[in-house]
Amino acid sequence: MSAIFKRELRSYFNAPVGYVCIAVLAALYGLFYYQVMVLGSSSYISQVYNTMFSFSMMVIPIITMRSMTDDQKNKTDQVLLTAPVGVTSIVMGKFLSCFFVFFIASSLGLLPAVAMSFFSSPAWGEIIGNYLGTLLYGGAMISIGVFISSLTVSQIIAAIGTFVVAVLLMFIDSLATAVSNQVIIALVGWISFNTRYTTFTQGIFSVSSTVFFLSVMAVFVFLTARRLESRRWN
Amino acid sequence: MIEVKNLTKRYGTKLALDHVSFTVEEGSIVGFLGPNGAGKSTTMNIVTGYLSATSGEVTVSGKNTLDEPNEVKRLIGYLPEIPPLYMDMTVKEYLNFMYELKKAKLPREQHLSEICRLVKIDDVYHRLIGNLSKGYKQRVGIAQALIGNPPVLILDEPTVGLDPKQIIEIRTLIKNLGKNHTVILSSHILSEVQAVCERIIVINNGRLVADGATDTLAHDLSKDHRLLLRAEAPERELLHALKGLPHVLEVESLGEKEPGVFEMTVESEPNADLRRDIFLLLARKGWPMLAMKNMDLTLEDLFLQLTSSDAAYVPSSEEDFSDKEENTEQGGQEE
Repeated sequence: MSAIFKRELRSYFNAPVGYVCIAVLAALYGLFYYQVMVLGSSSYISQVYNTMFSFSMMVIPIITMRSMTDDQKNKTDQVLLTAPVGVTSIVMGKFLSCFFVFFIASSLGLLPAVAMSFFSSPAWGEIIGNYLGTLLYGGAMISIGVFISSLTVSQIIAAIGTFVVAVLLMFIDSLATAVSNQVIIALVGWISFNTRYTTFTQGIFSVSSTVFFLSVMAVFVFLTARRLESRRWN
Repeated sequence: MIEVKNLTKRYGTKLALDHVSFTVEEGSIVGFLGPNGAGKSTTMNIVTGYLSATSGEVTVSGKNTLDEPNEVKRLIGYLPEIPPLYMDMTVKEYLNFMYELKKAKLPREQHLSEICRLVKIDDVYHRLIGNLSKGYKQRVGIAQALIGNPPVLILDEPTVGLDPKQIIEIRTLIKNLGKNHTVILSSHILSEVQAVCERIIVINNGRLVADGATDTLAHDLSKDHRLLLRAEAPERELLHALKGLPHVLEVESLGEKEPGVFEMTVESEPNADLRRDIFLLLARKGWPMLAMKNMDLTLEDLFLQLTSSDAAYVPSSEEDFSDKEENTEQGGQEE
């Protein structure tokens, strides 16, 4: 697993994609901190993270799109699948490398808060809560992205597919307002990443949301491993 | 060492492998022959654990590929048809990655430099794989298979894309590796298989059609046992004298090839060797013998004979027949 993790991570920074994703997210963090804190003269940090939720969800498909597609296309999966490692380790290596790119980007998003701490005392509890929430929904979205990329050999299709799912998960609760069926509303509230994440922006560490996001990661890592395994039987 | 039992693989409705069984002894070099799409790569992919068989089983060194996949994979070094290389890595990075991936235990620096020396990739060690020529990529692929010094090597067309000098080098390398490894290699190049392998397995349409030692396979499978003779002698008398020899079934003249020189085929009873008798006969008569050779099938004839057997059914109409001929001709050109 560690060999695959290291290789994948290196390949993000051999090509521009890793730098671009990190730069875009870090720049947006800076911009929104500036907008909210300086221009808005507000200390409402959750607003920064609320906006960043949408942007992060949109950048994640770019991070995950090549994770499983390239191997299938270049036949390098032969070397992975004939090496003495299990499919779950392969998928975990890939998932963790994607997650690590996102982790770097999100951690750089803390820089404005660190800079502020020299002049004032930011609400660290709230910031850390938001940061953890970001990593959780990010991890969940990345696991979905990795799974979608395992379904196709085309990076473009993987990216678009993941993007569609991301948009759906972002806006599914606004769709729920259009229906009156209580069951559907409850169901939508249950799977909506936005609703799950909002509790973090309020400075609450929600155990149920944490478990939810971790479960999503586990389920999609498992499904990706099954998908990889099933290719041997086609 | 490797035991393959009743291996069957279906891709949808297409039967890619049909009850293929063979065993490979430890320390032997076995060649896989067959036309395109015969099932060579599929067999190799199943043995290495990349694909699963529809039915049948594979054991390597007594370990079943399904029960102990990681143990079996540790024993096998595999070079697939398309070398599985990451174009964005240097050779050094790639080999180190493979070393870690295979969880090799040998001293790293020493082991990797030894492999590089063996396959002669020292001079490109720090270059990006994506920028290498096809021959070098192929060699990096071979290097990758050698990492961890696995007892079994499975090489799918190892000399594809190499120049003639490299081909000879790689063949020598494989031969040397065969001294303490079990090697299975596939190839389209018959002379290569003949030069490198001790044993040949021929696969056609997913079926195993021949399996035997390289030297004897052609002789054993030859249906007729004929000699080709060229001698400077009067045609009629030569024919008559040859027919008079014991164990001769049939003599046929192929006509005058040079002034006063006739060519004949002499068919003998199976297991009879006429060469000495013919030599003595001609010597006695004072007829100079200019050439004599066994008309055993060459590996090439054998290959064509074995792999075109499915085209030998009786056609229902003349149109079918001409189609069939065209197809086989095209097939022949591809090979």
